[in-house]
Amino acid sequence: MDNVVEIDGVTRSYGSRRRPVAALRGVSLVVPAGTFVAVMGATGSGKSTLLHCAAGLDRPTSGRVRLVGRDVTRMREGALTRLRRDRVGFVFQSYNLLSELTVRQNVLLPRRLGGPRPRPLDEVLAEVGLAGLAGRPVGELSGGQRQRVAIARALAGRPAVVYADEPTGALDPATGEQVLRLLRSGVDRAQVTVVMVTHDPAAAAWSDRLILLREGEVVADGPTPDPETIAERLRATVSEPAVAR
Amino acid sequence: MNAGLVRQALRKQPWAFAGPFVTQCLAAALVSGALGASSSLSRARLDPAARRALTESLIPEMAVLFVVVSVYLTALIVGLTMTSSIARQGRDIALVRAVGATPGRVRRAVAAQAAVVAVPATVLGVPLGALFAHAWLAGLTGHGVIPPGVTFHPSAAALPAALGITVGASLVGALVAAVRPARVRPATALTETAVPPRRVSVVRTAIGVVLVAGGVVLSILMANGDPAKADGSSFFTMLAMCVGAGFLGPVLLRLTAPLARLFGGTGTMAADNLAVRAKALSGALVPLVLAIAFAMVKVVAHTTSVHVHGAPEPAAQVWTEYSGTAVYVAFAAVAAVNTLVTVLLARRRELAVTRLVGASRARALAVVVCEALTVTITALVVGTVVAMVTMVPMLHGMLGTWTPYLPSGQLAGGLAAVIGLVLLGTVVPALVAMRRPPVESLAVDP
Repeated sequence: MDNVVEIDGVTRSYGSRRRPVAALRGVSLVVPAGTFVAVMGATGSGKSTLLHCAAGLDRPTSGRVRLVGRDVTRMREGALTRLRRDRVGFVFQSYNLLSELTVRQNVLLPRRLGGPRPRPLDEVLAEVGLAGLAGRPVGELSGGQRQRVAIARALAGRPAVVYADEPTGALDPATGEQVLRLLRSGVDRAQVTVVMVTHDPAAAAWSDRLILLREGEVVADGPTPDPETIAERLRATVSEPAVAR
Repeated sequence: MNAGLVRQALRKQPWAFAGPFVTQCLAAALVSGALGASSSLSRARLDPAARRALTESLIPEMAVLFVVVSVYLTALIVGLTMTSSIARQGRDIALVRAVGATPGRVRRAVAAQAAVVAVPATVLGVPLGALFAHAWLAGLTGHGVIPPGVTFHPSAAALPAALGITVGASLVGALVAAVRPARVRPATALTETAVPPRRVSVVRTAIGVVLVAGGVVLSILMANGDPAKADGSSFFTMLAMCVGAGFLGPVLLRLTAPLARLFGGTGTMAADNLAVRAKALSGALVPLVLAIAFAMVKVVAHTTSVHVHGAPEPAAQVWTEYSGTAVYVAFAAVAAVNTLVTVLLARRRELAVTRLVGASRARALAVVVCEALTVTITALVVGTVVAMVTMVPMLHGMLGTWTPYLPSGQLAGGLAAVIGLVLLGTVVPALVAMRRPPVESLAVDP
C-alpha cells in the first residue's frame, strides 16, 4: 500500500442549502504511508473539517476520500465504522476518553468494540510512560497523562493512520513535547502515518510535511521547515488579503 | 458488550436518569397497585348480590386499563426523558462512534442504560403501588363504590409483572429515542460550535396551526352534533390541540417571552434566555399543557355539573374519574419536570459564567425564577384555552350551559400545583448547580 490517504477535490459546506458556508473548497492531497503531516491555518480555515472528512468522521459535500485504498465517501455507515475501528486511531484536543472508566478500559475500547487484537497492554503503557497506571480511572489523571492514554489507545491496535486534532492544544510546552515525541516515534518505529492539525508552529515542526490552509483551500504544501519559518509563513497566510470571489 | 458506554453514562451523569427512573417507578407502582387491587377484589368473600354490584361498578376493568396505560405511557415517557439524557452524552457517543462503535451498538447501549435504571425503580415502585392501592380500595369502600369487606392483599405477581413491563417498555422507548442520535456523524458531535438552530421551521409551525385549527373545528362540529358522541371525540379534540400546541411551542414561548421584560434587568435577561431556549423549553410546555388541560376538563366538568344541578354527582363516579385522571396527570408532570431539570442542568456552565461576570447567586436565581414563571404562565394560558375549546361544547351538549364553573379554592389549588411543579423543576436544580463556586463548575463541566 503506497498512499494511506487520498483526498480528491473535496468540498464541504455547512448551513442551509440556500446559503451554504464553505469550509473546504476543493482540497486534493495524497499522504504516503509512514509520513507525519501537519495541517496548519488560521481559525476557520477548514483544518478540523479536513481532518474529519479525511478520517471518515464526516462526509464531504463533493469529492472523494480514499482511506487505506477504500473509498469512504460511498461506504455505508457500518462498514465505515469498522474501517475506522480497525485501521484508524484518534487523538483529539479534549473529550478524548471516557472519564469514568480506567486507563485499561479506555485503551482497550476499540478491542471491546470488536477491533483488532491490540499489542500487549503493559508494553503499550510502558511506551507512553504510564506503566502501572492501568487500573486508574482517567478522571483522576493530569491533562498530559490523559493525552498519553489517548495516544496509547490510538497506537495499541497497530493502525495505518492516526489523526490528531490539536493534540497539544490544552497542554504546556514541556508536556506537549512528550506527546509529540510519542507521535513521532510511532511514525519512525511503527511506520504509522500521522495527520495532525495544529496552530502551534513548535508542534508542527515535529512533522515531515507541512500543509497550509486558507479559507478552505491548500495554499502551501511541502517539507516542514524550522519553527521560525513556519510561524512566518503562517502569519503571511493569515494577513494576506482574501482572494476576491 | 457496550464498550463501557453504560457505565460511563450512569456514573458521570446519574441525575440525567432521574426522568426515566421516576417514570419507571410510577409505572411499577401503577402495575403493582392495579394487580393488587384486582386480586383483592376477586379474592374478597362477597355474597352474590355484592359480587354483581362489584362487577357492574367497572372497577375490575379499570385495573386492567391502568396496566395497559402504564405500558404505553412508560414506553412514551421513558423515550422522551431518555432523549435528554442521550443529548447530554453527545460527546461520549461521538467518541465511541469515532473509535469504532456502530450506530446499532450505540442504540443498544442507550437501551441498556434505560433497562438498568428500570430495576431499582421497579423495586421501589412496587411497594409504593401496594400502599396506593391500599388507600384507593379504602377510599372506594368508604364512598360505597365497592362493597365493604374487600380488603387489600398485595399480589405476588406484581414484582415480576412490573419488572417485565418497565424493562420491556423502557427498552422499546429508549431504542426508538436513540435512532437519530446514534446516526449523527461523529464529526458533528465533536465540533465545538454545536449550537442548536434558533430558527423555527415553517413546516413545524404549519403543522401546529393545522392541528389546533382541526381541534377547534372538531369542537365546533361537536357543539352542534349529538351530545352522546361528544364525550368520546372530545378526547381527540384535546389531544390534537395539545400536540398542535407542542409544535407551536417555540413560537408561543417567543410571544410570551417579552412579558418578562416588564420585570427590569432580571426580566430582560430572562426574556433573552427564553428566546434562545424556546425550542428546548417547549419540550416541557407540551406535557404541562397536557396535564393542565386534562385535569381542568375533568374537574371543571364535574364542578359545573354540581353547580348546574345543585346536587353532588355520585361519589363513585367522581372517585373513578379522578383517580384515572390523576394517573395521566402524574405521568405528564414527570415528563414536564424532567425536561425543565434537563434544560437547567445543561445551563450549569452558563450560570457559572453569569456569576463570574458579576451576578450574585440571588440574581442568577431570580433570572431562573422569572423564566420559570413565564413558562408557567404560557402553559396555563395555552392549557386553559385548550381545555375551554374542548369543554364548552361538551358542557353545552350535556348540561345546556355555556359557562364553565370552577370554585375559587380549586382554581387556586390548581395554580399553586402548576407553579410549584415548574419551580421544582427549575429552582431546585439551579440551587444544586450553584452550590459550588462558579470557577469550580467551569472546571468540572467543560
